[in-house]
Amino acid sequence: MSGAALKRTLLRHPGLARPAVVAGMFLAWEIAARWWIDPAFLSPPSKVVASLGELFATKGVPAALRITLWELGVAFAISVVIGLVVGLSVGLSRFANRTGMPIILLLYGIPQITILPLFILYFGIGPPSKIAFGVTHGMFPIIVTIVAGVQNIKPILMTAAHSMGASRWQIFRWVIFPHMIPSFFAGMRLGMTGVLLGVLLAELYVSTAGIGYYTQLFTQSFNPTMLLALVSVLAGMAIVLNEIVRRAEIHFGRWRS
Amino acid sequence: MSADSTAIRVRDVSHQFGEPGDAQFVQALQNTSLDIVRGELMCLIGPSGCGKSTLLNMIGGLLTPTTGAVAVHDKPVRGPLPHDIAFVFQENALFPWCTIIENIKLGMVFQGVPKSEQEPRARKALEAVGLKGFMSHYPAQLSGGMRQRAALARALSLETGTLLMDEPFGALDEQTRMVLGEDLSVLLSRTEKTIVFVTHSLGEAVFLADRVAVFSARPGRIKEIIAIDEPHPRKPAFVTTEKFAKLRNSLYELLHEEIRKTVDQSAAMGAAP
Amino acid sequence: MSPKHDRRDKIASRAVQIGFLFGVILLWYLGTAYWGISRILLPNPVNVWTELKDIIASGEFLPDLRVTLTELAVAFTISCTTGVSIGYLISRSQYLIKVFEPLIASLYSVPIILFLPLYVLFFGLGEGSKIAIGTSISFFPIVLNTIAGFGYVDKIFITAARSMGASDVQMFRYVLLPAAFPVILTGLRIGFTVALLSILGSETIASLEGLGHRIVHLAEAMETARMFAYISFVVVIAAFLNTAVSALERRAKRR
Repeated sequence: MSGAALKRTLLRHPGLARPAVVAGMFLAWEIAARWWIDPAFLSPPSKVVASLGELFATKGVPAALRITLWELGVAFAISVVIGLVVGLSVGLSRFANRTGMPIILLLYGIPQITILPLFILYFGIGPPSKIAFGVTHGMFPIIVTIVAGVQNIKPILMTAAHSMGASRWQIFRWVIFPHMIPSFFAGMRLGMTGVLLGVLLAELYVSTAGIGYYTQLFTQSFNPTMLLALVSVLAGMAIVLNEIVRRAEIHFGRWRS
Repeated sequence: MSADSTAIRVRDVSHQFGEPGDAQFVQALQNTSLDIVRGELMCLIGPSGCGKSTLLNMIGGLLTPTTGAVAVHDKPVRGPLPHDIAFVFQENALFPWCTIIENIKLGMVFQGVPKSEQEPRARKALEAVGLKGFMSHYPAQLSGGMRQRAALARALSLETGTLLMDEPFGALDEQTRMVLGEDLSVLLSRTEKTIVFVTHSLGEAVFLADRVAVFSARPGRIKEIIAIDEPHPRKPAFVTTEKFAKLRNSLYELLHEEIRKTVDQSAAMGAAP
Repeated sequence: MSPKHDRRDKIASRAVQIGFLFGVILLWYLGTAYWGISRILLPNPVNVWTELKDIIASGEFLPDLRVTLTELAVAFTISCTTGVSIGYLISRSQYLIKVFEPLIASLYSVPIILFLPLYVLFFGLGEGSKIAIGTSISFFPIVLNTIAGFGYVDKIFITAARSMGASDVQMFRYVLLPAAFPVILTGLRIGFTVALLSILGSETIASLEGLGHRIVHLAEAMETARMFAYISFVVVIAAFLNTAVSALERRAKRR
């Protein structure tokens, strides 16, 4: 393909230009890291990919990654359960909503990072503190979205169901519940972002064990290759988890198109 | 008018929102009485805010009158009567997460229709409104006119004696309304339903109604009732007759003054009319 | 619902809220003063209050506060300038929007805090790595909202202005900018909040100074009462900053 034809194709299809931009960025990184930047600080992507085998062969790293994934899963599950229970009980009652919502928003507004040391103090340096920190980050967005989802039902739909003789349970089962499903999934997506942030913050904070230990080790030994490989694996993990929740959200929100 | 031919009896009802003295206090309807005959189509027409929708909601049991009483088939109305009354609303009140046929069946689930009857009744209703080919579509995939047809099908499938329609074609464009009005007229000639129909459109009222109740400006009461003596189903050609024009003009005369009053009231309150 | 009933409801929910807050503080006090909860795990609220007064009276917090606020100011300035200008450039072409917007949005879904170890490697434990992380995280909402603001101005306004003969400069000044402004402001507010949080976060994880560092330092020294006092101090500062920025945003939008 000639240069002009390539240019025309890319101009017509932004979907093709996107991977080209990404490839260009990786190329620039490769070139910069190979010839310009001190190898003690940055390694080229080719070297990072090649070192993935070495990373997984490093004693303790696979276990740390596995534990992190497990913490993410448990923290997410707990966040969803708490978010659903609290969100529904606050969303369904006018009084509970008026009373509880300001307290929830107040707690949600606290910069939780400041109390991370407390979590370590109470739950130790193992998985429980990381799960707890993930839960406190994950549950609030779920609660808030579910409450909004329960509340923003068009009043006409409630009136219509009421006029056709729907009982309280039927209104919940056939109107509120299906209406809430997309916001529930939207909440889960935000919750996943929160859980990832909480768990990873706590993992990075604790430098004597887990992921935090290895990032510290690779940083202090000026080993950017291994550090980048570890960070890439974690980023990959985050991308996959986010993508699963996002797909689920799209799937269950089809009727909104 | 013999007593047993009266389907809906409205006696001296008033309705107010808020309490006197409050900033948002509104007297929507004042000492209104109305008898609606079994099988007739009664149009309620009047300026915005005159309380015609309020009256409809009180007949359907969605609102409780502040004073006065409503009875449907001699049963006092104290809440929704899903076995006697079905609604078609102005806004799209189809559940967006259900397909068209699921929407119709859900109405029957609420009403308590046995499961085995739901499918055939839903299909029959869809056929009556000409939507048989669209039963697995979601509401968002249909045009506004088709959605209102589906809402009508849902109300028909409930097989109630009374149908309350609150500006059902209000959000549609003129051409679509005309076609839906013609279809409705044909449909009516085949059923014995009592229908109360709220509208803003003079033409729609004359074309559809057996009688038209004209409301005064707020606080609303019924100013006059006009009979439209023309058998159903009404042909599109009815619109071009002199009779139609005369009836429409007399409605316009009755309404014009009231609408002026309403516009002036809102201007005085600093709100858009 | 009648207004009278509504009023009664409002008073009841306020009462429950106040009762809840008092209950928490009371339990906290009773737990530490009488029920023998370890002082290291949970200090007595009275001690925390004394420590907080001491921190404020002695002015001990000033150097740490200055470090944190400087980092925040630098990071926010950089992400504002780069975010708004890059966003504007991208928004000038539907093609560029189609190429870059999904790319930036998907990058944003990666927890950027993961870059912190890399930044520490590049820029060291000092202010550099904090500024870098604050800039990276706040860049995203700012650039995305700038694209959304300038890129999706309703066509009808542009057509109307063209039909009345608006020049390019007039178009920018009187149509594009006012239409995009509220959306960009929202981006700036979100950017500010996440920059503050991520700077506090990175100070907590790896640093030599700053408010986040101070809290960790006290935690490691097991001076829990003083740590609680610092946490409350930081929570109040953060709440104040966020409220101020939201108020600014509301004011700017009203004009």
